[in-house]
Amino acid sequence: MDSSEGPAQRPVTLDIDGAGETLETSVPPQTDLTDESFREESIDLDAEAFVSPQDDSSHSESLIDKLNDQMMESVMISDSPNSEEEDVVPIDSLLEQNEDEESKTPDGDTEERNEDINTPSAAEPENISEALFKEENEEEKIVQVDDKRENVAPDDPAPEAPKIQDIALEVDMDVTPKDEPVPVCTIFSQGVQSKAQALIPDGFQPTLVKSPSFTIGNTETPNKLVPQVCQPSPSLSKFFTDNGAVNPASDFFDSFTTSTSFISISNPNAESPKTAAPPESPLLSATTTAETVPTSTYFTPAATKPQVSPVESAAPMNKLQAVFPSGDDPFASALITSELDKRYDAWLPSDETRKVLISVATQQISPVQIDREQLAMPGLKFDNLQGDAVKDLMQRFLGDQAAMKRQVLSASSVEQNFLGLKRLISTKNWRAAVDLTGRLLTAHGQGYGKSGQPTNHTTDSLQLWFVRLALLAKLNLFQNAELEFEPFGNLDNPNLYYEYYPTVYPGRRGSMVPFSMRVLHAELPQYLQKPQETLDRLHGIKSVCQKILSNLQEGLAEDGSMMNLTQDNRLASIQLWRSRLSRVMYSMANCLLMMKDYVLAVETYHSIIEYEPEQKVQLLSGIGRIFLQIGDIRTAEKYFLDVEKACQSKGKTPNEDTSVLMNRAFVYLSQNNYADAHTCFSSVLKLDPKNPVANNNAAVCLLYLGRLKESLGQLESLVHKDPALYLHESVLFNLTTMYELESSRSTQKKQALLEAAACREGDSFNIQCLKLV
Amino acid sequence: MQVKGQSSAAGKMDVNQAKQEHLLALKVMRLTKPTLFTNMPVTCEDRDLPGDLFVRLMKDDPSTVKGAETLILGEMLTLPQNFGNIFLGETFSSYISVHNDSSQVVKDILVKADLQTSSQRLNLSASNSAVSELKPECCIDDVIHHEVKEIGTHILVCAVSYITQTGEKLYFRKFFKFQVESNCSSNFSFNSILNQVLKPLDVKTKFYNAETDEVFLEAQIQNITTSPMFMEKVSLEPSMMYNVTELNSVSSDIESESTFGKMSYLQPLDTRQYLYCLKPKPEFAEKAGVIKGVTVIGKLDIVWKTNLGERGRLQTSQLQRMAPGYGDVRLSLELIPDTVNLEEPFDITCKITNCSERTMDLVLEMCNTRSIHWCGVSGRQLGKLSPSASLSIPLKLLSSVQGLQSISGLRLTDTFLKRTYEYDDIAQVCVVCPYTSPES
Repeated sequence: MDSSEGPAQRPVTLDIDGAGETLETSVPPQTDLTDESFREESIDLDAEAFVSPQDDSSHSESLIDKLNDQMMESVMISDSPNSEEEDVVPIDSLLEQNEDEESKTPDGDTEERNEDINTPSAAEPENISEALFKEENEEEKIVQVDDKRENVAPDDPAPEAPKIQDIALEVDMDVTPKDEPVPVCTIFSQGVQSKAQALIPDGFQPTLVKSPSFTIGNTETPNKLVPQVCQPSPSLSKFFTDNGAVNPASDFFDSFTTSTSFISISNPNAESPKTAAPPESPLLSATTTAETVPTSTYFTPAATKPQVSPVESAAPMNKLQAVFPSGDDPFASALITSELDKRYDAWLPSDETRKVLISVATQQISPVQIDREQLAMPGLKFDNLQGDAVKDLMQRFLGDQAAMKRQVLSASSVEQNFLGLKRLISTKNWRAAVDLTGRLLTAHGQGYGKSGQPTNHTTDSLQLWFVRLALLAKLNLFQNAELEFEPFGNLDNPNLYYEYYPTVYPGRRGSMVPFSMRVLHAELPQYLQKPQETLDRLHGIKSVCQKILSNLQEGLAEDGSMMNLTQDNRLASIQLWRSRLSRVMYSMANCLLMMKDYVLAVETYHSIIEYEPEQKVQLLSGIGRIFLQIGDIRTAEKYFLDVEKACQSKGKTPNEDTSVLMNRAFVYLSQNNYADAHTCFSSVLKLDPKNPVANNNAAVCLLYLGRLKESLGQLESLVHKDPALYLHESVLFNLTTMYELESSRSTQKKQALLEAAACREGDSFNIQCLKLV
Repeated sequence: MQVKGQSSAAGKMDVNQAKQEHLLALKVMRLTKPTLFTNMPVTCEDRDLPGDLFVRLMKDDPSTVKGAETLILGEMLTLPQNFGNIFLGETFSSYISVHNDSSQVVKDILVKADLQTSSQRLNLSASNSAVSELKPECCIDDVIHHEVKEIGTHILVCAVSYITQTGEKLYFRKFFKFQVESNCSSNFSFNSILNQVLKPLDVKTKFYNAETDEVFLEAQIQNITTSPMFMEKVSLEPSMMYNVTELNSVSSDIESESTFGKMSYLQPLDTRQYLYCLKPKPEFAEKAGVIKGVTVIGKLDIVWKTNLGERGRLQTSQLQRMAPGYGDVRLSLELIPDTVNLEEPFDITCKITNCSERTMDLVLEMCNTRSIHWCGVSGRQLGKLSPSASLSIPLKLLSSVQGLQSISGLRLTDTFLKRTYEYDDIAQVCVVCPYTSPES
């Protein structure tokens, strides 16, 4: 028996041992697997090997034979199904026994096999490979980034770039012999043209290169070049020649920020990278000659450039106008907005920065003379993320045909402006949205490789950066975000303040950096295992908020200057800054929670109640849940009691009733009382049948009660009935986990989920939760 | 054995199973507590480029807390994502599902789940009776629980036997191995050493003997896992000879407050000291002989909880203490003032216990030292003292020197054996001068 069976099986085991490294044999050839899946595959096989003997043996006739076979290979226990229960054999002796048995087999491979059986234990390695969802994510991301880098390596695009650019130039010339409306950004028309070829995800490479700076030789001065390459938008130039500083422009420039000031600023980089730090500031020249006003104009509303991209019809333009209506009376609205600007933009620069800004304002120093070291000179650090993981996955599991059906918006298929950007964001195509911000920033002269080169900022360029970085964070691409945040330093460079551009933003004060970008900047390090840095930054923001609030309370303006604010304005400002303060405190508390510093986290959450009294119920419940997480049920119950009191004092509304019930359910859950927890979640559903949390949690309870099928049925029907609510990472993760537990056909069922997700979700859908790979 | 890994490993199996013709599939998943989903808030203000988009996205996200979207700890439960660690004293729970993957009805299904440890084999199945039939696409579910009481390797052995439509009796088994240990982190070099300790807690104890019969026990408990641990209960269960007082809370009028502050949890590698005062019960204290030598003090009972009430419990072995030897006759102080006036007599009460096995006839002598002066008659007969009996004697003395003074100079002589026992430095008193003028 031994001798006949031994050789037959050994090769199998050996193969499997090798599989870890050389996977080709066991994996379908067309798939390109990541390292992750390699490991997984090999482990699965291992697992099989571990149990395989009985499978192999099934063709032998008698039951006893089967058992014997199994015994040999599966090492553990020498028993038959009838007698196995009673034997209490120490494992050691079992293993020894096994060794003995194995040593009997003639082959020398025994050792290897032993290892196989003793150590890997079917699934232990898998632990590691699957262990952390997030880690996996990260790893993959790193890989991605690397890929990207390769793509955009400076040498790489070179061969293609000039050609494309030439065409672009020609087109430009044709359309704009005079001062007529010009495609503001050749890039976009280019982008549209190349779309056909660019269906392949990587096809965007060219766009990167299309920044005018690449084509312009090193020969000519920017002044001469400008008229040829980057035609100024006519209206813009008109505006500048008409009057450098007065408001009529606001009519025209009503960007989303409805700022009264000018939004477009020339950027040396947009024209020529070689003329770094041009001696005459573009700012100054802008006011004098029309020609030198280059175009980063896509920040102007699209209304001025209907001809820009022939592909985009006029329809979106109208929409755009509707979105950004300009006030009837530009002057009146200008007054209001300037108050708003002041309130929102207020910030307290560091002493050093303040000195620079003052000397710029008093014209003691020209911005050009300022040491480059002190300026924020950002640039894209990587190019297109473009890619749709859902589609790739469909291709792999459902075939090309199914994948063809997947239609998502890409950066090229929307308007090349803020409106298009918003469309991408709201349809959850965040990857495409990141691409689009990249294009818009490239056109602004802050494209790939421009980091460290002098540049001018505008309200809009910083908003673009904010959106880009926020989306990167949302996509969990934290390293990328950190990389691109880096040139901004601590967001306190002089050229990030309006005062730095007295000619472009006359009279405007404060920071161009949106407050939300500061918060994002502060929050980022915690996702990269540097929570302490996050806390430091948040404390910095917090102290500025507090200082501004105290200025306001002392009757000063936000920045501490002696300026008279109307009562309304003061109150509005106090309200704004209080809400900002509470936002920062939320971030702190969240960070502390992630650091598992529960004492401080709870304290901080508690102190937020003062600022956000309407969130008292949620905050107290949240604190209660923190205690449950720690395992301190008694204290959690105390907080939940406070929640009930708070609800009662408000006069119960159904919504608050649900939070009370929900809390009760969590307490039951923590007492291992899944039955009552399920009842509580179910009673939440009676009040609020569509509550996704209660639905999901009730299903989870059912599983712990040993009612897998019911639980699965409930979740499945929810996902199919109301995909908007239930195609969520957490629900899908639960569902796929149960599929795996339920049947051997989990892969098909997961694929069905993939199809469902493909119909609804954008390119930011996290495919990991489907556990298909 | 990872939950997911295991089941997907099993999932792969059925590819082969088609040829091997096993109609049933067995899946196992460890049921640790579910976790609360945390989301990642990215916000912006109305005036920012995305306008209300980010806010709306967060409001529409089912996992956020409605009304407080920036709170990262949500309410959505997610199933365990990996096998995790299992520690001594915790309960191992597992879902066992046997699913009929075939298109035919299967009969007489018997599912058995056994846990093989290094010393024993336990049957964990809820029922040992066979299920008479299982229709296609149906499954048999079982949730097993086991409190882990051994360290080292555990193997979950699941066996399934059934009869096909054709009457063929089929049988298969699967093994799932896991390690019960202290922790798996390799972040800390010394943790990997602790790996061999194979327990979640490190407990050290120390005894302090008081002048009286009391014994103080200090227990240092260290969390050697990688996650925070809520200490629900750390109590000393005294042996029959002792009464115990826990000294880990400061009681005020209304409620007692823990000496560890508001948060009763231990971060990884944190150590906490618990203090207990043990008093011999009067009936044992009298019989001084019993307390002699090695005595059993009791054992520590520790209950902790982690994520969402995941519970663990451990007891130490019996803590033993070597009682200090007192010789044949023990002299202890029952009453002594801490501060006395210079050259003013004060009272102390001595307790004399016969710790020997024989009756003694004692004489008490009092010898003055440089600073201590005894009042009363020296060499007085105390009478006979039987074994384990004791008597209290009030004494009067005064000190002629200021400062902290040691009380010495008591001599007990057993007239039967002509043996003298000397008692020096039995206590200290602080001697002050009552006449000090305020200006000095």
